[in-house]
Amino acid sequence: MILDSKTPDGPLEDKWDIYKNSVKLVNPANKRKFTVLVVGSGLAGGSAAATLAELGYNVKCFCIQDSPRRAHSIAAQGGINAAKNYPNDGDTVWRLFYDTIKGGDYRSRESNVYRLAQVSNNIIDQAVAQGVPFAREYGGLLTNRSFGGAQVSRTFYARGQTGQQLLLGAYQAMSRQIDAGKIEMLTRQEMLDLVVVNGHAKGIITRNLVTGEIERHHGDAVLLCTGGYGNVYYLSTNAKNSNVTAAWRCHKRGAYFANPCYTQIHPTCIPVSGDYQSKLTLMSESLRNDGRVWVPTDNTDARSPETIPEDARDYYLERRYPSFGNLVPRDVASRAAKAVCDQGRGVGETHRAVYLDFADAIKRLGRDAISERYGNLFEMYERITGENPYKVPMRIYPAVHYTMGGLWVDYELQSTVPGLFVLGEANFSDHGANRLGASALMQGLADGYFVIPYTLGGYLAGIDAGSVSGEEEEFAAAASSAHAKTQELLNINGSRTVTEFHRELGKIVWDGIGMARNADGLKSAIGSIQNLKQEFWQDLRVPGTAETMNKNLEFAGRVADFFELGELMARDALDREESCGGHFREEYQTKEGEALRKDDEYGYVAAWEYKGDPADAVLHKEQIEFENVQPSTRSYK
Amino acid sequence: MTINVRVWRQDGPEDRGRFENHVVTDANPHMSFLELLDVMNEQLIGEGKEPIEFDHDCREGICGSCGVVINGTAHGPKQRTASCQLHMRDYSDGDTIVVEPWRASALPVIKDLVVDRTAFDRIMGAGGYVSVATGGAPDANALPVPKEDVDAAFDYATCIGCGACVAACPNSSASLFTGAKIAHLSLLPQGEAERTRRVVAMVDQMAEEGFGDCSNHAECEAVCPKGISISAIARMRREYVKAMVVGDS
Amino acid sequence: MEGSKLKHFATSPIGRKVFTGVTGLGLTLFALAHMAGNLLYFSSDPNAYNKYGHKLAELGILLYIIEIGLVAFFVYHIFLGISIYLGKRKARPQNYEKYASAGKPSRQTLASRSMIITGLILFAFLILHILSFKYGPSVSDGYVVTVDGEEIRDLKRLMDEKFSTPLYAFGYPAVMILLAVHLRHGIWSAFQSLGATNPRLSPIIYTAGGIVAILLAIGFLVLPLSIYFSGGAA
Repeated sequence: MILDSKTPDGPLEDKWDIYKNSVKLVNPANKRKFTVLVVGSGLAGGSAAATLAELGYNVKCFCIQDSPRRAHSIAAQGGINAAKNYPNDGDTVWRLFYDTIKGGDYRSRESNVYRLAQVSNNIIDQAVAQGVPFAREYGGLLTNRSFGGAQVSRTFYARGQTGQQLLLGAYQAMSRQIDAGKIEMLTRQEMLDLVVVNGHAKGIITRNLVTGEIERHHGDAVLLCTGGYGNVYYLSTNAKNSNVTAAWRCHKRGAYFANPCYTQIHPTCIPVSGDYQSKLTLMSESLRNDGRVWVPTDNTDARSPETIPEDARDYYLERRYPSFGNLVPRDVASRAAKAVCDQGRGVGETHRAVYLDFADAIKRLGRDAISERYGNLFEMYERITGENPYKVPMRIYPAVHYTMGGLWVDYELQSTVPGLFVLGEANFSDHGANRLGASALMQGLADGYFVIPYTLGGYLAGIDAGSVSGEEEEFAAAASSAHAKTQELLNINGSRTVTEFHRELGKIVWDGIGMARNADGLKSAIGSIQNLKQEFWQDLRVPGTAETMNKNLEFAGRVADFFELGELMARDALDREESCGGHFREEYQTKEGEALRKDDEYGYVAAWEYKGDPADAVLHKEQIEFENVQPSTRSYK
Repeated sequence: MTINVRVWRQDGPEDRGRFENHVVTDANPHMSFLELLDVMNEQLIGEGKEPIEFDHDCREGICGSCGVVINGTAHGPKQRTASCQLHMRDYSDGDTIVVEPWRASALPVIKDLVVDRTAFDRIMGAGGYVSVATGGAPDANALPVPKEDVDAAFDYATCIGCGACVAACPNSSASLFTGAKIAHLSLLPQGEAERTRRVVAMVDQMAEEGFGDCSNHAECEAVCPKGISISAIARMRREYVKAMVVGDS
Repeated sequence: MEGSKLKHFATSPIGRKVFTGVTGLGLTLFALAHMAGNLLYFSSDPNAYNKYGHKLAELGILLYIIEIGLVAFFVYHIFLGISIYLGKRKARPQNYEKYASAGKPSRQTLASRSMIITGLILFAFLILHILSFKYGPSVSDGYVVTVDGEEIRDLKRLMDEKFSTPLYAFGYPAVMILLAVHLRHGIWSAFQSLGATNPRLSPIIYTAGGIVAILLAIGFLVLPLSIYFSGGAA
């Protein structure tokens, strides 16, 4: 299969207009004849469901939580980018586009990213109209901040809860449509399969998480908005219930999975404190503006940090990157922390942490100034660790935060299964090999509010409404296979819990496909995953039954899919013999230890086709064309 | 450290429910409270029993999924802290912790510690929004909003919808939840056009769901993980009175 | 407000509390006036109290209107209190095994939790009180005093007699303490119900409510106690 991105012809700046001018429209009177199934209710799903319902389509929206308001988008802290140029500091749509392409290490599609930058401004308008309380100046106008090393201030924010406020905006828009009867909201439902009839996505199979019932839902198109797969690592900043299952089951039904090895590690997270640890907490990157990162020079130095003299400290970021110092990008900072910990110089009980020290900043600016800037973060740190960062340095370590890979989609956000559209973090499309700060919220909402209403209309205009009833053989087959798979998990009746397996899988994935990868490590990870998977299917114990709420059973199904995904990630990472963005292959680095990209050989999107065993997955390549920007090498020396 | 957990167990909405006592011997002061439940559940599975079901997701205090009554207080003893952010260092070796679900007829128990909070979604559906369809919004800076107003609105908008306010209220009132959204939108010009209709519809829905009336105990503010002030409730009442006396609903 | 809308408002959770607050504050004002009147007992003019009672009686039709108004306030206040209590029972059919307040800024106190109990006791007291005094022995029973050439009811004597008995002398103050407990939460709560949104003002109202409650109780209970301990010779 040739991967056709369906990018419209014409100059980059005009592609989206050209598309909109030519896409087929659905007659307003006919919209109500179409039913759209939206899976997931985060920024992408929530905004899509609300917008499509406003347009007149019937929407059925599904989420695994008890309310659409709880999707993990809610946890995003920092902000959302837009090329408004309100501060008049030289920002343009082009610059936002360029920064996103460059930040993604030249592994994303120009046309999609340009469109993202174009609609970014509409998102801010829309959110403000909904009553999202973005930060403002005393004059009443919106204020911006610079984020993630950008040279312009283009980030809109609502204190440290921007994701929450934007999600609630979308949720409120949804609530209005739910009340109006245009959205049927099905909460506590987990998608277990995609139903494809005559080559088109026409329905989904879900498990009602309260009653355990396997349900069939049919419609005219399916929108998958189910987020990323960071929880394959077990420990990540993702919510506990975030998972790859819906996307993976679509992959099994023919949707290609693109660039699974692109994962983003965030450098400033609170480190793991013990085996019982269930998730990791991120702290805003802004801490690195004033905090200095260091470890003891001598790995046997067990003194309490504040008593270690200057000459026994290694401020390794400042030493290695004199011009950027502590402000190097996320991936660089993360790898550097790993490197010093690998040398045995890590701090804390687990020796997998480095210090982030504010003593100098407090001396220079005063405690009050630091408290004003980071008070809430210091409080959060103290709440979790019990240590006072005004007195002792914080301990931080990188953690998995976001996954750039996802189901392959074309310009219309349509996957390789016609009628299956993928939005937000669940698709691969806009962030290349690395995502810039404050871009995730932008992409989710761009897809849902401003892209899908057009592209989905184009698809629906070409098909007949209501062509399936849910009684087709495909539905019955998918439902019974979902039922069987659920039962299979319960029937193993072994001795180990799903958490034990997940934790062990996470360790394999983190060690082998984490911040730094190499061929041997990847091959060994594949072997370990396969072995553990086999053990999983022989020795798992899931208590209880399928006919009731059973969260262990839900988790077991998700972990089963993480095994397959984990292996595909390793294979993808193995295939990509270069370093780019979140994918760092130790064999491919410069003399100075920086990432070595190979645009000529690996300037493609790796889209994997499912063939049963992950070992048999078939690689399809979409060559990335650079017509408007010239790939360059990042340098932070 | 060893922690004794006395936890509510209920097989389903129709089951009468009961308490069970468990001992977790390998609790650690650095664990979160939910991680204590995790460890207890692993133990239960090891013993061939079913784990205790409880809702949880982000585990950083923002999604609003988790929430149980811990030793009689919604979200436990630490203020402005959701159950997931509570850590075991606040307890001592040998302590007994009583864990119960939110108890309110409008938030019925589904299983063990899991309750049904869809009543909140229906209250929001009744009017907790600004009716603006995607696409027609004017430029974001076309309408200046005083910083003081937007800051105050933000304080109310931080509600995570966890339900602790209802759980802790001696009357099981949802006034803080409902008032927070009404207060948020009533402070902004964007919400102006619908403010009369909104407050009446949301308050009516709140009553229909079977929540109790607010008797101004202010317990809700004390347990709210976001510390939302009961001035939200007073504001809701003002809006409601204004809507009824002046407005045209 | 038209009828259906008034009903809508009055039966809503907001309306119920607004009316509870309005009637409650009205009754508090009445209690304050009543207390001020009582204190005339201590006036240097030995007949001041009886004169005041007589003046009230002379209001005639106006007094009836006031009385009907007061009864309406009481009845509606009590009705609302009971209906809120029943609603609360229904909203939480099963109680917690263990319940503990989270502490400040919670305003939950024994007073706030016992409004229904203190309220019902006050109601029972009120009936006895009216029977004892308003419908107690009057001119025809010989409780007469001549002031400025006019024969008027000697309420003062009735009070001296009643409060010379330990049951009245200590029963009344006990109930007045309950009144203070009721108003400790009630006054502040009424302002909240009427939409006092300013969080800075809230602690002031709360403190002021407490002070008024205590002063009111003291104002009421000094009378019976002083009569009892001075043998009614004040």
